[in-house]
Amino acid sequence: MAKILLVEDDELVRDMLMQVLQRASHQVTCANDGEAAAEILKTVTPDVMVTDIIMPKKSGITLISEVKNRHPTMEIIAISGGGRLDPTGYLDLSESLGASVSFEKPIDNTALLMAIDLLLHGKKMVS
Amino acid sequence: MNTAKKSSLAYLTALVGIIISFTLWHLIKTNTLDLYVAWIILGMGIALSFLLAVLIHTIQLGSHRAVSSAQISKDLKKETAARTHAEEGRQRLEVALLQGQKLQAIGTLAGGIAHDFNNILYAVKGYTEMSREDVPQDSVTYKNLGKVLEAIARGQELVARILTFSRRQHHDFSAMDMDTTIEAALALLRPTIPAGVIIDYQVKAHSTILGNQTLLHQILVNVINNAVDAMDEQGTITLTLTRVVAGDPELERFPQLSRQNYCKIEIKDTGHGMDQQTAERMFEPFFTTKEVGKGTGLGLSIVHSIMQEHQGGIAVTSKLGRGTILTLLFPEQQGENHGKNSASRR
Repeated sequence: MAKILLVEDDELVRDMLMQVLQRASHQVTCANDGEAAAEILKTVTPDVMVTDIIMPKKSGITLISEVKNRHPTMEIIAISGGGRLDPTGYLDLSESLGASVSFEKPIDNTALLMAIDLLLHGKKMVS
Repeated sequence: MNTAKKSSLAYLTALVGIIISFTLWHLIKTNTLDLYVAWIILGMGIALSFLLAVLIHTIQLGSHRAVSSAQISKDLKKETAARTHAEEGRQRLEVALLQGQKLQAIGTLAGGIAHDFNNILYAVKGYTEMSREDVPQDSVTYKNLGKVLEAIARGQELVARILTFSRRQHHDFSAMDMDTTIEAALALLRPTIPAGVIIDYQVKAHSTILGNQTLLHQILVNVINNAVDAMDEQGTITLTLTRVVAGDPELERFPQLSRQNYCKIEIKDTGHGMDQQTAERMFEPFFTTKEVGKGTGLGLSIVHSIMQEHQGGIAVTSKLGRGTILTLLFPEQQGENHGKNSASRR
């Protein structure tokens, strides 16, 4: 139903989430980190970007603020593994920078899918 | 120099004595003794007096020396004791600091592991849920996968506890009356405690400290729950609130604490106690004597962290078979100080 860009550095989580999103009939493009995601965004404009916050190279937070500038209509969902330093602080920050909603791992995938549907629905209403 | 004088004096005396003896011998030999008897007696009298004086003086010196050396020995013993005491104090401080650092390090490590662990749990959860969707709901596989999800939920809970322990949190500190705080915590706890356990709360002195209500409740909950577990649901927990003034010898157990007045809470239970080895490890994260699944081993290490955050101290005395006494010290709030203080510790 939607074009989703998944940005996640953990291989297992990336593969699992891709399957979960595909099962929900979404079209998924994957990126291993922020830099790869920025590259993909040059040619593709997804409806939703689901990105991890703490990643090597370009961090998820930087990605979010950059993307929000160039693709203001794209919905962003931030996810985080928690643990290091102050994870909830990062999630709050990501929301202030442009993420519509954030989740802490391990995520309830049903809730994630519902959030995606709601955001899409909202977008459709606007456009 | 004195000894030289003394020995020369001795020789001199001997010489004088010999001269007198020779003189006497000569006089007796030449039968002229009668003429000089008076003079001889005078000479001997003077010599004897002189000898006696020297003897007395020597004895006096000797006893004076004996007293001095006894005094010196006493002073030496005192200084050695003071040095040993200071050395012991320094060693205890080192151990306390090392313990605090270890816990800090473990906390940081746990925090780092939790991040990866959350990723792992998430992947396992996601794959399991998807697999479950693909099998019939009445199959054994469906049920078993349900059990896997239950285990994952337990893992999630454990990680959350680890994060609570390791996360740097900013807590609001405010002036609190200890008595009121303890009463409130006990009111929350009492319903959860088995009927066979009596909580005896004694207030020996009132005290105000700078602290966080939630954290203080957490301490009491963790400590009392531990005590209840140690007592097999029968016995008495005695909670005493009192004060310790600066300089009190009790404070020597806490070398890392600064010199000031402290509020003291003592929690005594009639449980099965601990041996020395267990007592030394009781604040270690993940250390537990409970069977698998019955405890995370984090309760008391959380208490230890909270005490550090409050700039306080915690110590334990325990006898196997008799019970345990936990002593908590909080720096007392000096003077009138109402209102909130936001203090971030660590």
